[in-house]
Amino acid sequence: MDKAIKRYFPVFVLPTLAAFTMGFIAPFLVGVYLSFCKFTTINDAKFVGVVNYTKVFTDATFVHALWYTALFTIVSVVLINFFAFVAAMLLTRKIKGTNLFRTVFFMPNLIGGIILGYVWNLLLNGILLQFNKTLTYSSVYGFWGLVILMCWQQIGYMMIIYIAGIQNIPGDLVEAAKIDGANSWDILKNVTIPMVMPSITICTFLTLTNGFKLYDQNLALTNGEPSNMSEMLALNITNTFYGRAGWEGVGQAKAVIFFILVAVIALAQNRFTRSKEVQQ
Amino acid sequence: MKKRQLAALSLAVIMAAGALAGCGGGQDAGTTAAPESEETTAGAEGESGETAAQAEEGTAGDGAVYYLNFKPEQADQWKALGEAYTTETGVPVTVVTAASGTYEQTLKSEMAKSEAPTLFQVNGPVGLASWKDYCYDLKDSAVYKDLSSDDFALIDESGAVKGIAYVIETYGIIYNKALLNDYMETEGAVIASADEINSFDKLKAVADDIQAKKDELGIDGAFTSAGFDASSDWRFKTHLANLPLYYEYKAENISSTEAVKGTYLDNFKQIFDLYITDSVCEPTLLSGKTGSDAAAEFALGEAVFYQNGTWAYGDIQDNDVADEDLGMLPIFIGGEGEENQGLCTGSENYWCVNSKASEADIQATLNFLQWVVESDTGRKALAEDMGFVTPFSTFTEEYLPANPLVAAADEYVKNGTTSVSWNFTTMPSEEWKNQLGSAMLEYAQGTGDWDAVVKAFVDNWAVEYQAANN
Amino acid sequence: MSEKKKTIDNVLTLIFSLLSLLYLFPIALVVINSFKKKAYISKRPFSIPSGKSFVGFENYLNGIEKTGFFSAFGWTLFITIFSVAAIILCTSMCAWYISRVKNTFTNMLYYLCLFSMIVPFQMVMFPLSKIANMLGLSTPWGLIVVYLGFGAGLSVFMFTGFVKSIPLEIEEAAMIDGCTPIHTFFDVVLPIMKPTCVTVAILQTMWIWNDYLLPYLTLNMKKYKTISIAVQYLRGGYGSIDMGAMMGVLVLAIIPIVIFYLACQKYIIEGVVAGAVKG
Repeated sequence: MDKAIKRYFPVFVLPTLAAFTMGFIAPFLVGVYLSFCKFTTINDAKFVGVVNYTKVFTDATFVHALWYTALFTIVSVVLINFFAFVAAMLLTRKIKGTNLFRTVFFMPNLIGGIILGYVWNLLLNGILLQFNKTLTYSSVYGFWGLVILMCWQQIGYMMIIYIAGIQNIPGDLVEAAKIDGANSWDILKNVTIPMVMPSITICTFLTLTNGFKLYDQNLALTNGEPSNMSEMLALNITNTFYGRAGWEGVGQAKAVIFFILVAVIALAQNRFTRSKEVQQ
Repeated sequence: MKKRQLAALSLAVIMAAGALAGCGGGQDAGTTAAPESEETTAGAEGESGETAAQAEEGTAGDGAVYYLNFKPEQADQWKALGEAYTTETGVPVTVVTAASGTYEQTLKSEMAKSEAPTLFQVNGPVGLASWKDYCYDLKDSAVYKDLSSDDFALIDESGAVKGIAYVIETYGIIYNKALLNDYMETEGAVIASADEINSFDKLKAVADDIQAKKDELGIDGAFTSAGFDASSDWRFKTHLANLPLYYEYKAENISSTEAVKGTYLDNFKQIFDLYITDSVCEPTLLSGKTGSDAAAEFALGEAVFYQNGTWAYGDIQDNDVADEDLGMLPIFIGGEGEENQGLCTGSENYWCVNSKASEADIQATLNFLQWVVESDTGRKALAEDMGFVTPFSTFTEEYLPANPLVAAADEYVKNGTTSVSWNFTTMPSEEWKNQLGSAMLEYAQGTGDWDAVVKAFVDNWAVEYQAANN
Repeated sequence: MSEKKKTIDNVLTLIFSLLSLLYLFPIALVVINSFKKKAYISKRPFSIPSGKSFVGFENYLNGIEKTGFFSAFGWTLFITIFSVAAIILCTSMCAWYISRVKNTFTNMLYYLCLFSMIVPFQMVMFPLSKIANMLGLSTPWGLIVVYLGFGAGLSVFMFTGFVKSIPLEIEEAAMIDGCTPIHTFFDVVLPIMKPTCVTVAILQTMWIWNDYLLPYLTLNMKKYKTISIAVQYLRGGYGSIDMGAMMGVLVLAIIPIVIFYLACQKYIIEGVVAGAVKG
C-alpha cells in the first residue's frame, strides 16, 4: 500500500509543498539571512554581520516593547483564563438562557482585530472624555484598554473550550467524590481542575501566543501612542521595518529575536502544563 | 526515492532563494510590461486619439505611469487628472495616495514590488538621501526646463537633477478676521487693527485677552487644539519647530547642520505654551485630537487662530468662516528683527522619477509631467482644482489659484517682509521629528518636562544625523 | 436544596443577562454613532442622534464611497472562500500522504509544519511579500496560493492528527478492490474526514477573513483592498479621520459576520472545540 501511494507524490504533496516552500520555508530562510544585512529594498542587500543584532538592544523602544508585551501577555492570560473558566463553570449549571449567553460571548471572536480596535477606540475614548483624558494620554490607559479589549474578544472563545472540557468529565467521578464527602471546593480543586487540564493547556497556549503576537488591535486602538509607549513587539517590529529609513535590517533582526522568544515560550509552556495533565 | 524527494525540496528552496536574490536588476523591465498593457482604462479603448498620441510620443507607446502621491488633500484631483490624461493619450496613469504619515512606509513597500511607482516624492534633501539611487536625472526633461529657478530643484554634487518641486506653499497662523474684529470692538482690546500684531509679545497679549473674553465673544478659545494625533502633530514637530531652526540658521549663517545648538528653544517654548494655554481644549486631551478636529474648530468659528498653511483651505471652505474673513499672520516667536518676519514659504514636495523603472515607463512618466505643467488641462487642475502655487514658468497669470489663503500670503510678500524658509527639510530623520513630537506632547499634557523637548531637539539631532549619514 | 439552587440560578441568569447587554454595548454604540454627524461623534459619543446631529445614512454612503466598500467586501469574500477551499483540499491530501508514507522526508515535512505554527508573521512578512510579488501573486488569485502556503502548517497538523485515528483496514480494503490512491482518498478517506474539514474551514475562515497585515503587504494596493485594509485606510489622510464614514463602514463590516455567525453557530462552536482538542 505504501508503495502504491508513494507514486502519487506529485498529486498529493506537491501543491502544498510548493505553496509551503514559497509561503513559509523560503521567506523564513531569506528572513534569517536578511537579518544580517543592510538593505532598503530586498534587491540591494549587503551582508553586514551581527551589527543589526547589537543595534536591537540599544533601541530603547524595542526593550520597552518587550516588557510591555510580556506584562500585557501575563495580565491578559490570567484574566482571560480566569473569567473564561468561571463563566464556563457557571454556564454548565444549565441555567436559563445558557445558549443565548454563549452565543453573545463568543461573537466578538469573529470580528477582525482592526475593526474591534476602532470599536473600542470610540467607546474608551468616549468614557475617558468625561475625565478630560484620552486613550493615548498615557501608556497605562492604552495598556488597560487593550487588556479590556482582548478580554472582551477572547473570553468567549476560551469559555467554549472550557465548557467542552468540563462536560467531558465523567459524571460518576464527581459522584464518587461527593460520596467520599468532598465539598464543592474540594471537587473543583481535586477533580474538575485536573480533569480539564488539557483545556487549560490549550487555552493558555492560545492566549499566550495571541498576546505575544498581537498586532491589529494594537495598531487600531492606540497605534503605539504616546511616544511608542503602548507599542507591542509586533507593532514595534513592523514600524521599525517600514517606518525608519536604514533600519530594515534591524527590523528583521528584531523579528528573528521575536520568533525565538515565541518559540521558547510556546515550547516551555507546552511542556509545563502537559506534565500536569492526568491520563484519562 | 527518499533522496530524490529531498533533492527536490532543497532545489525548490534554492530556486526560491536564488530567484529572490538574483532577480534584482532584471526584474523591472521583464515583469512590468505584461500586466500594465491590460490595465489601460476603458475610456481609452477604440479612441482615434490613441494612435495619434502614441505617434507623437514615439517611444512612450507602451509605457505607463504610476504616481505615488504624498498629498492626501488632493488625492481625488490627482486621480481625475490621471484619468483625463489617459482619455487624451491612451497612456494608463495610476494614482495612489498614501495615508497621512505613512508615505515613507508605503513607498518602501511599493518600491519593492515589480509594479513599482514610476513617479514618487521626496520631502527634500533628507528624504532624497534614502532614495537617491532611485532618482532618474531630470536634467534634460521638459519639466526641469519649465522650472523658474534652480532653487526649486534638488541637484546633487554631480549636477544631476534628482527632484523637482511642484508646489510652493506657505504657512503661518491663519486667523478669522470677523472674530478678530469682534474682539477689537470689545472694551480694553489690546489692538485696534490686525496689522499691529507684529511681534510675539503683541500676539500673546491679544491671545491672552481673547482667551479671557472667550465667553463674551462666543468662542471656545483663542487657538484651535494643538492635536498630536498623527494627522496633526506635523504642524508642531515639523512646521512650528522650523522657526527656532530658522533663527538659529540665520544667526549662524548656515543652511544645514550636523549638530543643532537650540539657541532659540526658549522662544519655541513661548509660542508652544501660548498654543496650549490659550486653547479651546484641555492639554490632557491633545494626544487624541486630530487635524480635522482643529480644522473643524476653526471652520465653525470656535477659535480665532489656527496654525496651518495654504493647503488647509479645502478643509475650512464652505463652512461658517467666509473666504474674505481668512487672514494669515507670521508665527512670531520673539526672534531678533521679527517685525519684518514674514510667513513660512517653501516646498517639501519634490517629484522624482524612478530610475529603476523600464525605459518606456520613464518616458511615459516624463511625458505625463510635461503635460501636467504645460497643457491647459494640467495647469487648470493644478491651479484651480488643487489650489497650488507652482514654481513653473508655464503658470502664467491666468493659472493662479483662487485660494484666499494664497492671496493672504501674497499680501505679506508685497509688504516687504522676509519669508521664513522651510528649514525643516534639513531635519535629520523622521525618527527625530517623531521623538520631538512625543516629547512636546508629554510636556503639553503634563506628563513630561521641557528638558525632554530640548533633549529631543538638540541631543537627538546629532544622534540621528550620525545614523543617517554614515 | 433545590429551592436554593433555583434562586441562585435565577440570580445567575439575571447577572449573565446584564453581562450580555454590556457585551453588546460597544457594538450598539457604533451603530448609534453611525447615524450622527461626524463632528458630534468624538465630542459626544454617548448622545443619541437627534435633530442637528442626525444624518441618516449619509455616513454609510460616504464610507462606502471612500473605501470602495463593496469591492473590498467582494474581494475579501473571494479570497476567503477560495483560500479556505484550497487549504482544505491540498492540505488534507498532503496530510494523508504524510501519515501513510513514512520516511525521513515526510517526517521532516510534518515537523516543518509544526514549526511554522509558532513562527510569527513579522518574521517572514518582508521576504514573503517580495516573493509573492515576484511570482506575480499580488492579486486575489495569487493570495490564495500565499494563504495555502502560510496557512498549511496548522491544517496539515490537524488533518494528520485525524488521519492517525482512521483504521488502515478501510483503506486497504478499497485498495484491494482496485481503487487508485486518488479514488481511495476521495471516496473513502475524505468523507470520513468531514468533521475535521469543517473545523479547519472555520479556523481558517476566521483568520483569513479578518487578516490585515498579510494582504496589506502583499496585495497590489492600486487595485484591490480587503475589508480590514479599507477600514484602516479611513484612518489617515492629512488631518482627517472621518469618524462618520468610519462608523458606517464598521457597521457594514460587522453585519455580514453576525449573519454568518447566527446561521452557522453550531458548526463554528463545534469547530472551535474540535480544533482546540486536537491542538
